[in-house]
Amino acid sequence: MTLRSLIRHETFLAILLVLALVVLSWQSDRFFTVANLLNQGRLMTETGLIAIAMTFVIATGGIDLSVGSILGLTAILTGVFWKNLGVPLPAAAVAAIAVGTFAGYVNGLIITRFRVPALIATLATLALYRGLAEGISQARSVRGYPDWFYVLGQGEVLGVPTQLWILLIAAVVAAVILAYTRWGRTTYAIGSNEVAARFSGLSVEGTKLALYTMSGFAAAVAAVIFVSRVSTTRSDMGSGIELDAITAVVLGGTSIFGGRGTVLGTVLGLCLIQALKNGLSLAGVKGDGTIMLIGIVLILAVLASAIFERSGTR
Amino acid sequence: MRRLILPALLALSFSTSLSHAQSTWTGGDDLPTNPLACDATPATAEAKPYDGGQPTNPPDRKGKTLTVVDVPKLVGIGYFNATSKGIADAAKEMGTMNAKTDGPSKANIDDQITLIDNYITSGVDGILFAANDPVAISPVLKKALAAGINVVGYDANSEPDARQWFVNQAEFNGIAKAMVDSMASEIGEEGSFAIVTSTFTTPNQARWISEMAAYQAKCHPKMKWLETVEAQEDNILSFNQSNTLINKYGDELKGIFGMTSVATPAAADAVTQAKKCGSVAVVGLATPNAMKPYVSAGCVKSVVLWNPVDLGYAAAYVLRAAADGTLAPGATSVKAGKLGDLSVINGSEILLGAPFVFTKDNINDFDF
Amino acid sequence: MAMSGVDLPPVQPQTNLRRPGFLRRLMADYGQELIVLSAIIVLFVAVTAVNPRFISANNLTSIFSGNAYIAVAAIGMAMVIITGNIDVSIGALIGVLATISGTLAVAGYPIWVAWFFPVLVGMAINGLIGILVAYFRIPSIVVTLGALSILRGGLISVTGGTWISDLPPAFLIAQQKWLGLPVPLVAMIVLTVLAALWMRYSAFGRSLYAVGGNPEAAVATGIPIERRIVAVFILNGFFAGLATILFATQLQVIQSTVPPNLELTIIMAAVIGGVSILGGSGTVIGSTLAAILFATIGSALIFVNVSAYWLRAVIGLLILATVLADMLRRRRTV
Repeated sequence: MTLRSLIRHETFLAILLVLALVVLSWQSDRFFTVANLLNQGRLMTETGLIAIAMTFVIATGGIDLSVGSILGLTAILTGVFWKNLGVPLPAAAVAAIAVGTFAGYVNGLIITRFRVPALIATLATLALYRGLAEGISQARSVRGYPDWFYVLGQGEVLGVPTQLWILLIAAVVAAVILAYTRWGRTTYAIGSNEVAARFSGLSVEGTKLALYTMSGFAAAVAAVIFVSRVSTTRSDMGSGIELDAITAVVLGGTSIFGGRGTVLGTVLGLCLIQALKNGLSLAGVKGDGTIMLIGIVLILAVLASAIFERSGTR
Repeated sequence: MRRLILPALLALSFSTSLSHAQSTWTGGDDLPTNPLACDATPATAEAKPYDGGQPTNPPDRKGKTLTVVDVPKLVGIGYFNATSKGIADAAKEMGTMNAKTDGPSKANIDDQITLIDNYITSGVDGILFAANDPVAISPVLKKALAAGINVVGYDANSEPDARQWFVNQAEFNGIAKAMVDSMASEIGEEGSFAIVTSTFTTPNQARWISEMAAYQAKCHPKMKWLETVEAQEDNILSFNQSNTLINKYGDELKGIFGMTSVATPAAADAVTQAKKCGSVAVVGLATPNAMKPYVSAGCVKSVVLWNPVDLGYAAAYVLRAAADGTLAPGATSVKAGKLGDLSVINGSEILLGAPFVFTKDNINDFDF
Repeated sequence: MAMSGVDLPPVQPQTNLRRPGFLRRLMADYGQELIVLSAIIVLFVAVTAVNPRFISANNLTSIFSGNAYIAVAAIGMAMVIITGNIDVSIGALIGVLATISGTLAVAGYPIWVAWFFPVLVGMAINGLIGILVAYFRIPSIVVTLGALSILRGGLISVTGGTWISDLPPAFLIAQQKWLGLPVPLVAMIVLTVLAALWMRYSAFGRSLYAVGGNPEAAVATGIPIERRIVAVFILNGFFAGLATILFATQLQVIQSTVPPNLELTIIMAAVIGGVSILGGSGTVIGSTLAAILFATIGSALIFVNVSAYWLRAVIGLLILATVLADMLRRRRTV
């Protein structure tokens, strides 16, 4: 991994993003307005938080497919703790986030302690956590939250949607950790060559455990934001969000085999997907067409990157 | 020893999950129910003050061509293809409406909210919707109202103040009565039945099941509810679940309720393939095209539904009337094209009419 | 290498070195398959004790036949995973192929065209995916993620979601019988056995294990990896097409949407059947058994009255248990 090869993919992506913005704003004059762009920022926060955490996980060569189910579980627990158990709402949200984080920790345990490959382990917990969400909530929604709770998901701070601040802070912190701290370098080392990393004395198990826990934490925070945005809880919340997050991460240049990837790339990938979804819709393309185009963009972007890079890994 | 872990866990899961308590129907919600009278007394609709929302400073749209988007629960099932057709028919008939249907590919709230949000930004004049979740969709609909867009719902409601009007196909307790009465007439007052629904979190289905439970307890108390199973909106899964029910209960099962337009044909197919036509009744909500083979074969006697094409048609006309200002808060009826006058109930709901029953005699007249 | 013409005395085997017994070798080679098989047997015994109708002819047909298409699709998926790749677009592919099949049948084309043209389409689409994976070195999860979106969006775009009904009765092969047994059941058994034999005894089949298990060694022994990967994806498309025939002809209508979660079920069937996601091990017998196990679990949980709200949690727990059991077993033998 050299600085040159890294910059190449992110630059390519940035150019693609600018191109998309320009074309889409030609198609509709309502696209490139401050109000719309801020609104899109609001809508992409949940996927964004999960994608940022997923960057770390995929950079180690792993994957976490259970994030959508953790989101659903945390969401209904927020409602259940608050309404059924009578816990005050702030404490209920914190407790629910704690459970979601623990769910991520359990993922990490299964992967590090039992050595189950990440794909299978998180595939299994995807079913388990979703099932727990359904069973605990008994398919009931919890609604009627106090107004102050909605500021998180529907309100604004200094003219910018509340959750967008959270996303920005998370992105900056994550980028710093990944690029400049020892933790970040360990992440890359594990992804490049796990055996060598272990023999170099790096705490492979501990780092992986921490990363899956963080992934659970990100999904849990996203859950609370989601509940606040739609003012209700449902046990099917978040289903399918893992694929959106993975698409953003992969588009951003993180290699599925591990060892490469930046938070900046993920954020650019995220913005590109959101811009396409919104811009195409404003240009009159229906939902199904947008889905197709995103699939094509994903393949083409990775294809172009692979052709330009020739970094030699499989 | 370790090889026994899996079988042991399996045995443990089963022994801890055996539960035969079946007093309450599964699949309903907790909201209060209001069963109708057991005979044919029509329901008395009490007058309620208007409780819908209003767009903020809408531009004057009287007589102008409206750009309207229809956002159903999901696209790709026969029911919403039918409502979409009704909306398109109405738009063509009026000549002053451009309507397009764009819905999520899965029945979840996030995609639907994002779609509506995008259309708000693109500046449509009107939004028609069928909500995946009444509370979750309300914030974005209120945003639409605040942007001066006319908002009318059909099939699945939002919170009342998030839309101007809601076209209700039939009252929940009316549908429940029609379904349970149909089943009772086919399987008798002491028959046992099971239910195949979409998911337990789908609001309409949950309401209907609750109302059906209340009505059955009141008017057909000796009928026996066996079980409710989930089958999403997938017809193969509905088929498999129906088969499992038929196999599990054997001769004890006399009837199956299909709660969605996907479940009912699949249940009918399961009954047909198990060669139980005539011994297991299938009663449910479905579109005629999907049910034609089973009704012609005599396997299914009647299919309860309102006419979804009419539902979409009425919704489009209501939107036009609301945008023009001819339908204002406090009105008691609205003219909906060839459907004539529809009455306003529950403050801001417009009733399509009585449920429509498709039978062998009339099912071939319809194509949706 | 022995020199020709020289007689060497026969080598006496050392007396304390004995070839492991048949059962031990069976466990080592087919451990996971046996676990799955024993789970199926345990389930059958347990549930039949509670409700004897579980083993009625109708229910057995429903379990084995009704889900045979998953087993057939899992054969192709197992092969793909053995080479170290994955295909998350298979659910969408089956949805698309089913729609093509039904449309052809209703439009009056000969039945065999309606059955087999989609198989060719499936092979073509997957061949394209295989080329992107093998020659352009794009990870399979990325390509198939993209393919999933394209197929899903494309299906709704083209069909508008309308159902296909009025299928000609001769088309509905999944509802017919061969030799007294339901067609899907026969197809599942025949295809699994043929595929298993081929994977084990043909050079091509064995080379797939090499490609997944140790790509460098595979290259060193002259196996053309790129061509193998493209071939295995084409095979995946082939089995997806066959699975579609069974899937699309089960009912009298075809819902032209993507069946939800189908790809997860197929992947889990392959993985729980013993195919390792790390590539290089597992058999198609395991994936078929696992598909049967899922179908059995689904039916069994309803038969024993597991509360409908907890159904999915119990299924998730069972999957996790199977996965952990597999890992513990591997630690024992490796």
